[in-house]
Amino acid sequence: MKRRHFLGAAAAGLAVVSVPSPLQALLARRAPWLLVPMDDSQTDHLKAYGVTFRTLERGQKAEWFLNYRSGSFLLPGDAATVRDCALSGVAAEPVEEGQVARIRAEIEQANMDAVPLEKAPKVAVYAPPNAAPWDDAVTMALNYAGVSFEKVWDQEVLQGGLGEYDWLHLHHEDFTGQYSKFVINYAGTPWLTEMIERNRAMARTLGMPSVPAMKRAVAQAISAYVDQGGFLFAMCTATETIDLALASEGVDIAASYADDSPMDATAAQRMQWGRTFAFQDARLELSPTMAVFSDIDGHQVNSPERRQPLGSFSLFSFSAKIDPVPAMLVQNHRQVIPDFYGLTTSFTRRTLKPAITILADEPGAPWAKYIHGQHGQGTWTFFGGHDPEDPQHQIGDAPTDLSMHPHSPGYRLILNNVLFPAAKKKELKT
Amino acid sequence: MRRLAHALVIVAAVAGGTQALFAQQPSPTDALAQAHEFERKGDHAAAADAFVRALAARPGDPSALLGLERSLDPLGRSAEILPHARKAVGAVANAVVYPILIRTYMASGSRDSARSAAEAWARLAPRDPSPYRELVSAAMQRRDRPMARIAVETARQRLGQPNVLAYEAAQLLAAEGDWTGATREWLAAIAQLPGYQLTALAALTPAPERFRAEILGTLKDEPSLDARRLQAALMARWGDPLGGARQLIDALTTPSRAQSAEILTQFADQLRAINTSDAPRARALVLEELAERSTGVAASRARLEAARAYQEAGDREASRRMLGNIGPEAPVPGNAAATLIGVLVDDGKAEEAERKLAELRPGIPTEEFQAINRRIAWGWVRQGNLDAAQRRMVGDSTVEGFALNGRIAVLRGDITGGVTLLRMAGPYAGTREEATGRTALLALLQPIEADSLPELGAALLLLERGDSADAARSLEKVAARLPVDKGGAELRLLAGRIERQRGEHGSAERLLRAASSEAAPATAPAAELELARLLVTLQRQAEAMTLLEHLILTYPTSALVPQARRLLDETRGAIPRT
Repeated sequence: MKRRHFLGAAAAGLAVVSVPSPLQALLARRAPWLLVPMDDSQTDHLKAYGVTFRTLERGQKAEWFLNYRSGSFLLPGDAATVRDCALSGVAAEPVEEGQVARIRAEIEQANMDAVPLEKAPKVAVYAPPNAAPWDDAVTMALNYAGVSFEKVWDQEVLQGGLGEYDWLHLHHEDFTGQYSKFVINYAGTPWLTEMIERNRAMARTLGMPSVPAMKRAVAQAISAYVDQGGFLFAMCTATETIDLALASEGVDIAASYADDSPMDATAAQRMQWGRTFAFQDARLELSPTMAVFSDIDGHQVNSPERRQPLGSFSLFSFSAKIDPVPAMLVQNHRQVIPDFYGLTTSFTRRTLKPAITILADEPGAPWAKYIHGQHGQGTWTFFGGHDPEDPQHQIGDAPTDLSMHPHSPGYRLILNNVLFPAAKKKELKT
Repeated sequence: MRRLAHALVIVAAVAGGTQALFAQQPSPTDALAQAHEFERKGDHAAAADAFVRALAARPGDPSALLGLERSLDPLGRSAEILPHARKAVGAVANAVVYPILIRTYMASGSRDSARSAAEAWARLAPRDPSPYRELVSAAMQRRDRPMARIAVETARQRLGQPNVLAYEAAQLLAAEGDWTGATREWLAAIAQLPGYQLTALAALTPAPERFRAEILGTLKDEPSLDARRLQAALMARWGDPLGGARQLIDALTTPSRAQSAEILTQFADQLRAINTSDAPRARALVLEELAERSTGVAASRARLEAARAYQEAGDREASRRMLGNIGPEAPVPGNAAATLIGVLVDDGKAEEAERKLAELRPGIPTEEFQAINRRIAWGWVRQGNLDAAQRRMVGDSTVEGFALNGRIAVLRGDITGGVTLLRMAGPYAGTREEATGRTALLALLQPIEADSLPELGAALLLLERGDSADAARSLEKVAARLPVDKGGAELRLLAGRIERQRGEHGSAERLLRAASSEAAPATAPAAELELARLLVTLQRQAEAMTLLEHLILTYPTSALVPQARRLLDETRGAIPRT
């Protein structure tokens, strides 16, 4: 009937349209391997990490092709992985053994490497029990990608609970115990009152004299965890304050609203920078009315006098074969990424320890954005800023919906860190 | 002779040198023109250089000084203006040079210097609030609220005017979270300059919810009409437009008729931008009040607007009352007729609407007449009288006419004829909603092979008449007689959607499961997505996720896969629920 020709066209928008089907292609061409490209052909960069992580969780092996098509993954072409790709909307290309061999040959001849991924790391996120899942970029990235994790807080850390995890993330915790100095601008607000009460209650439970003392003890436990081989990833103000807490053993660096005693006027001279992960010789902010901790942060977002505008940061390029660890951490389909604020946005070069590796910085600016280093048997990575897709992030802002940012290069850097501990141990030397 | 020659050489050299020097030094006017040209091209560095040259020649040129400030700012070199500005003090009007000094000092963090500049200016103009205003503004720009507060307090003390700089103080207090104080300052600012009414409204609207009662309380305690207006407007924006409208109308006891009309008109315009369900009624009340306070054409126009607003609010009786009071001087007969007939049609009085249209016909342009005529035809459809509807449509050969005739044909059960007419109407006739509805109807009919299906027409007519329960039952009966892939699944999907909207979850689930047949692959994805949404509503997340996974894996080419994936992410908690 003639009308059906028209009806077919009219109904197309409502029911079914003919678009290329990744699943059909995959099922039709079942191959021993799936190549998950991470260049611009990828349909969901962030979920690709989740697919890889779950492959490892199922006990399968995978490979990370550093610098090959912006850091693609080679996964087994089994039905479960094909299904996972289809459900997640992740582009994957079936590849035969011959094609894999050709890729390996290409990798061999260029600044690329194939890093085996063997075991899904056990992930812990340090956050208070009532933390909103939408206020932490890492939690959002893990949830969106579908990477399973557990939450730990002060009690678990101080009771030695970190030992069972491979990877620990800290977000915007203030390890100086001053509640991120929010008291200056938000005193009396219900959420801050609750935060203070919860921390004080925990300090009492743990027999600590004050919240700053408790947070310092937590920082020391985390330091010991890394020292014994753990992987630490921190963002925002956790980066700066964990080092301030570690350096201030025996020194009162907290304002009186936090521990009922004023800051030690000679604190700056008494800091022990040898205990820290990344920073040294920082100048402490002595005023309790300034929402700033020290001059480690280059951007000083909460200090109108010192605040620096946002630019963009560039990822460094590393030799995949010689420096696989930093190379893994900077795998991306973009090399220049717009900057974003956090309570700690960046790290002043003057305060960086000489042995650390800068992974990304703003060319010409006196600060780095993304840094990495070793601490005993383990490693740490610090990434400044709060939310890569919410550059100005204000308290009370709507949560970031990552389904609107499936190609976010900033979030990719976070997820690089999650997979990095899965890499075969012998490769993890830098 | 040698001495003379030597002297001539020197004179020539001096003269030549001087000439060269003149040639290199353009006049200040030229330099200024060049600077403006560079500025226009966005070459700020060259513009700054040219402005400096202009100032070197004429240090007191305000245009050059302001231009230099503009050019240095984007270069991040604002502080370079300071020597030029200092040099210009006394040569340029105080109102030009001191603001530059204050802004520049504040921008470079030299608070004390900024304050000194303001003090120096204030000594030259002791009764002028401008020095303090400039200092507040520069301090606010730098988020230096303590400095801004000091400047406001100093101005008030020195000038002996407790409300001076109210506009600046209002912004300062709002930035500090003192919304009550900010409200009082805004009222003072409005008292000085009524034009601040809208600025105050825009500034107070974003106040956090927990401060709103306090702000409204502060306004309530103030007796002025300005306070009532602001209170009414804020109530409207914060979800109580009816309360706001009543508040404003009650307060209009003192102003003149003309002033009241202006206030009411402005408030009615503000209400137009508000989308809450009671906003149309609030607007209708305000317009009715406006009509009462107006005469002649203005009153008729206000009543007509009020009638439309009442109609939009669903109050047909009030709408009719308004229309009944429109005088013979009613300005736009077509609009009035459309509104009146619309009210009659919505009231189920198609016959009366026909008579009214016949009466008003001579004054209505053809295009408008046809639109009203179609509205009456649709009114007959809603009354279930398809014959009368079709009679009204005779002779309407517009694309909208084809669309309506097509729908009437489908409702009669004439599938082939209806589809032909709908096809002739194309995808663009009528509003976007009408076009979407037409496409959905075509999609529903697509798999049905029968040329005539009166039972389906009758079921769809029930739906048009608002009898959704009977419509769903009838659709299910028709579906039972059709093969799944020849319309059976599609009709069950429609019936399932109707039942879901009616809150009949059990029945909806049964129908949607029946529609989710792999034998009808064009319908099944939509049915599964609808069913998954229902299951999420019923807190059966695990079943919903299984269903969504099935949809994505079984129908990967469906255009609904992105929606399914998003719902799956939401249900898993992977993204925030929207």
